[in-house]
Amino acid sequence: MTNPESKIQNPKSAPPALQAFAALMRREFTVELRTKSLLTSMGLFAALSVVVVGLAVRTLPVNETYHRFVLGMLWVTSIFAAVVGLNRAAQADRGRNFLGALLLIPHDPALVYVSRLVSAMVFLLATQALLVLLAIPLLRFGMFDQPLLLLVVPLADLGILAPGVLLASGTSRTRGGESLLTIALLPIAVPVFASATGITDALQGGLGFAGAQPWLLLLATCDAMFLGMGLLLFGKLNEG
Amino acid sequence: MSQHAPLSKSTWVILALALLGLIGAQVTLYLSYNYTPVQITEGTLWVVTPDRGAPINLYESYRIFFIHLPSAYATALCCTVCLVGGVFWLLTRRPAWEALVVASAEVGLITGAVVLLTGTFWADYAWGSGRIGSGWNWEPRLTTMLILWLAFAALLVLRRSMDTPRQRSMTTAVYGILLGPLYPLVSKAIEIGQTSHPRSFSDLLSAPEVAITKNVASIGILLVFVALIALRFANHRLAQRIDAERSA
Repeated sequence: MTNPESKIQNPKSAPPALQAFAALMRREFTVELRTKSLLTSMGLFAALSVVVVGLAVRTLPVNETYHRFVLGMLWVTSIFAAVVGLNRAAQADRGRNFLGALLLIPHDPALVYVSRLVSAMVFLLATQALLVLLAIPLLRFGMFDQPLLLLVVPLADLGILAPGVLLASGTSRTRGGESLLTIALLPIAVPVFASATGITDALQGGLGFAGAQPWLLLLATCDAMFLGMGLLLFGKLNEG
Repeated sequence: MSQHAPLSKSTWVILALALLGLIGAQVTLYLSYNYTPVQITEGTLWVVTPDRGAPINLYESYRIFFIHLPSAYATALCCTVCLVGGVFWLLTRRPAWEALVVASAEVGLITGAVVLLTGTFWADYAWGSGRIGSGWNWEPRLTTMLILWLAFAALLVLRRSMDTPRQRSMTTAVYGILLGPLYPLVSKAIEIGQTSHPRSFSDLLSAPEVAITKNVASIGILLVFVALIALRFANHRLAQRIDAERSA
């Protein structure tokens, strides 16, 4: 207790973890409210993707296959929108080493990780809402006959962003980190992508919950595993 | 004539492993062509019904299995070593663990390629119409293996792009850990979704000649790859020592 270092690590004046977390979250959303950089880049990316895809499939007949294809395309756009957002956030960090400053808080670095993850999820969910809104007229798409899908979206987002936030904190410090994040994240996130598309396909194909079950199990396993790894490794990857 | 330094004890071990492995691989080749039966009985795993036409007999195509399976074992080993090496690097910070992760990722790239190529060649024949050129069919195990292979490649690209040695080691260890769970996914892939990959080899291995050849192949070919990992590991350790000398 007399060791001065331990006092620095755990000063009595440090706010409780929940308060610190609230402050971190406030910071994430305040920055976004002021700069609007994440939502505009992700939203614009989503809108452009819908337009490009819409152009490519404009002459196709609208049938069962078409609907399944559009759902798959929405997942593809989602995963790349997540990469765009993570890169944009990392880019903001790089200039002034914001992440290094945040990690000075007298709490477990996992707290910073969770705040980043939660804010990234909120922004990605907002982008996906926009994506669906745009897809309904532009891609002649009707999604809401499968309400269970709405439950799968946050689960899949978690599986993509949990390793994404971790890896982005590592790649953000390098030159060319943007392409690196894509290369590093995609192989890791592909199981999540596979389960998301698997569930979507099973539900859309009328197989119901039973058909989607193995994929749901895989998705839940990936979520738990990546979240656990992120919580454990985030501090390690960014120390020093 | 130039004077060479005497070989170290570890180099002798690596050479011995490699020699044993290469002999094992040769014996595997001999056994798989001269000892195992030409054709497995009808009705087993190796006779499939293609989309069109009469059932085909796969005849000798199953022999590729003796290279495919040991390489898959070696890929599992590389993946596990990446995970273990990554965890131990984070715990101890000893450069040897980093060298081990990199060495196994490099060898994993080779073993993974062997698995993918032999698997695709066989599947192309067995799952297609019985002729070469039926194409990639996104079968779950094929696909997960490809993803694992890409992850090995991503680890190597990622570490090369890091600016400082510390970042490089850290990223290598963390990515090694992230990559670890992909192998269980490859092995479980046949239980999820539509699969045409053989689920069990019990039919095939009921022939004693096949079982013996499979065991020889597993040991021999696995040894070749273990020796390769050891060789790359020794190489990386040497490079690390030279870097340490230079910066001292």
